[in-house]
Amino acid sequence: MRAKDLSYSVVIGLLAGLGFLILIGPVVIVLLTSFTQGRSIRFPPSGLSLQWYQLLFDSVRSSQIHRAALNSLEVAVVAMVGATVLATLASVALARRSGTWVRALDTFFMSPLILPMLAFGLAALMYFTFMGFRPSLALIAIGHVVVVAPLALRTTSASMSQLDPALLESSASLGASWLYTFRRVTLPVIAPGIAAGAFLAFVGSLDNVPISLFLAGPRSDMLPIRMWGMMESTLDVRVAAVSGVLIATVLVLMLVMERVVGLTRRLRD
Amino acid sequence: MTHARFTRRQFLAAAAATAGALAIGRPARAKGSVTAAMYPGTWEEAFRAHVVPALKSAHDVDLEMTPLFAVDQIAKAQAARGAPPFDAFVLDPGPRVTGIDRGLFEKFEARRLKNVGRLPAGMVDDWGVTVAAQVVGIGYNPKKLPRPKSWTDLLKDPWVSRLGMTGFQTTYGTVSIIEIAKQFGGSETNVEPFFVEIKKVLSKVAAIGAPASMPALFQQGQCDITYTNTQTVATLRGRDVDIEFVKPESGAVAFFTTMHVAKGSREGENAYKYFDTVISAPVQSALMQPPNNFIPVNRDVKLAAALPMASLDEMAKFVRHDWSKINPLRAAWIERFNKEVAK
Amino acid sequence: MTVRVRPAEWQLALPLALAYAAFFLVPLLLLIGVSAFDDEKITTLGFAQWRRFLADPFTWKVIVDTVKLGGLTVAATALVGYPVALVYLGAGPRWQRVILFVVILPLLTSVVVRTFAWIVILGREGVINQALLWLGLAPAPLRLLQTEHGLVMALTQIEMPLLLLPLLSVMSRMDPSLRDASAALGASKWRTLVRVTLPLSLPGLVAGCMLVFASSTTAFISQFVIGGNRLVYLPLLIWQQSLVVYNWPLASVAALTLLVSVGLGVTAIAAVGRRSRAYAV
Repeated sequence: MRAKDLSYSVVIGLLAGLGFLILIGPVVIVLLTSFTQGRSIRFPPSGLSLQWYQLLFDSVRSSQIHRAALNSLEVAVVAMVGATVLATLASVALARRSGTWVRALDTFFMSPLILPMLAFGLAALMYFTFMGFRPSLALIAIGHVVVVAPLALRTTSASMSQLDPALLESSASLGASWLYTFRRVTLPVIAPGIAAGAFLAFVGSLDNVPISLFLAGPRSDMLPIRMWGMMESTLDVRVAAVSGVLIATVLVLMLVMERVVGLTRRLRD
Repeated sequence: MTHARFTRRQFLAAAAATAGALAIGRPARAKGSVTAAMYPGTWEEAFRAHVVPALKSAHDVDLEMTPLFAVDQIAKAQAARGAPPFDAFVLDPGPRVTGIDRGLFEKFEARRLKNVGRLPAGMVDDWGVTVAAQVVGIGYNPKKLPRPKSWTDLLKDPWVSRLGMTGFQTTYGTVSIIEIAKQFGGSETNVEPFFVEIKKVLSKVAAIGAPASMPALFQQGQCDITYTNTQTVATLRGRDVDIEFVKPESGAVAFFTTMHVAKGSREGENAYKYFDTVISAPVQSALMQPPNNFIPVNRDVKLAAALPMASLDEMAKFVRHDWSKINPLRAAWIERFNKEVAK
Repeated sequence: MTVRVRPAEWQLALPLALAYAAFFLVPLLLLIGVSAFDDEKITTLGFAQWRRFLADPFTWKVIVDTVKLGGLTVAATALVGYPVALVYLGAGPRWQRVILFVVILPLLTSVVVRTFAWIVILGREGVINQALLWLGLAPAPLRLLQTEHGLVMALTQIEMPLLLLPLLSVMSRMDPSLRDASAALGASKWRTLVRVTLPLSLPGLVAGCMLVFASSTTAFISQFVIGGNRLVYLPLLIWQQSLVVYNWPLASVAALTLLVSVGLGVTAIAAVGRRSRAYAV
């Protein structure tokens, strides 16, 4: 039996190791590349320097990138909030129900994920133009909500299925209002799912090329599209540096959050 | 607990305030302005550096650019029929013919351009004005391969096993394949010989990639020879990539990049001012300098030594193609290419 | 009592349903409408594009390849992703946060630069080939870039967060005492995995697999830039038809075909999930 446990540790350990390698390897390459001394994106980098980060933060020479980054962030925040709220409500509605219409509705909610975004972007542009709207940030945000909501719905629904219905019923039978039950019973259970979904929705929007391509106007320049042009025509190293900045930002945010969460926990005790 | 909730509420308020500030803090639109579709990357950077200030000082018109590749411009204009999302197109010959075909342009009035007399003959017609030339040939890595001489060398050893190919999606890819086909007896409307020849060496070809990935594939040594244009080669050389341009024996291919007024545009007047600025000698001259590396079309510009010709008239000797004949065949070629190269 | 709670709950699906009706269903109907035209200029009604597309054996090969790509990616992602989740489950809170950060790393590198990283890894002079040559495991560089293997490997990285985020959020709410009990009763680690952990985490795994399947089959940029033109999948056809030759009826036909075939795949994953959950209980 112990030999079996050893085989478990070896097999799972090796596969997980491979998993971590696949997750980390490409990111390490991007980061190393971003510190190059050379004039174009190339691996291995020729010498190490921070020059491309300096250029990226230069408010004059990288002003277009900054504008695009602000647009993209704004849209991503709106898309994340919209998609997360709508998807959480829907997942509460659909949870623990079966029947044809529930399954049909669930499939319908998932369908933006399987409709190629290129086709959706084109169709959405035709539709919005027909309605008399001009391409703008608002339209991009609406388009993004539609395509990232399924990500939030799926992760939230998965957490929802862990919720013990007996808990809800006992809460209701004790006279708790629906909202109170939702806040005190449902939400704590599904919070990790909502958080995961919100994050997926945020980055799904931040990195979206096809929808933005069609719904962007002259003053709604988006970061991934700008980066696409920089990569294709000039192998600009700032493209890699943008990823470096994003990774550092998330790392810092996570550290801060850990501090804050730790702090509030201590305050509470 | 109350502490935690209080901070959370504060955080939400701060987030909402930030979002609001971002939405409001937009610059107001200037009086005279024109919105132009622009190729992302080199073109957009060059236009921002040279055309935007020139247009502002000469005509007090603000240039807004919306980064779009030629194919995306046609798709966007067509989807938004009658309400164009931009006033001016910049297009390669293939999409240009589609634009004419689908009625996406206003009729062009050459007399509204002051600089029109400085362009060589045939650079302006009923649909638009030429703003730059592109010369297509072979780009190779001189450190890894001997210098190729002709299009057919691409399909021979040692070059073929280092060849990076793209299909008919791009203008430069299409004209290059046509030229290869011609060497084997094909023509502008018959690329069959290309398919016959490529089939023989297909397993050796190093990469058949997306156009967008070619610079990176070349840079990383996945392929060391490809068909490309002089502007790309000059730009990559400026970024320390080992690449050199070769004019094939049968002649390099030239095609023109044109600008057009979008049908239904309300800024037609400013669009002409924009075109006039783009083709003016000082702007053309600035666009020719590195890192922009455009091939100018204005006769008053003294050509840089690095260009593949000594004068604009020499361009008449370059190979030209009739895109009104190529365009109707392209869909079938693309389909054929998919089937031939898919394993 | 339940009657009092439930009607309110179902109405919560309405906002999303209405938003989708307004901003997704109508564009989708537009696509269906466009697909019912014979000519590129969208003037003559007819099903010529459908007939032509579906009568071509190449189309069917592309459909099969696309679904196969999704299947392989799901299998590869689950094979290395689930063990990562198990490591997460066994780790302390501090390490769990580190693992979570590693899991979301691929999402923080833009698709534009991620594809470059894979060219570096899979290329002829790339990281893997240099390692193989150095170790003496291969006599000459292997062709990895622009092959199905290479593409699946790259997609595994890109899609792993989509598998792991739902999976980890489910696993983090699992009752650890169940696993401890299983171990205390003398069950081997394998048995605990199959009988306790896997069934309990199934909702997360199924959700993740659905996301991975849908995302990998429609990931046009990764497919085209890493896979190259030798590998033809439905999104490439949609791109060519809509943006290179502007045959929108045919592009719509290809898009709807992708919608249906990927939809069937996702439904199949959901059905497998339901069935195995029924067995597990």
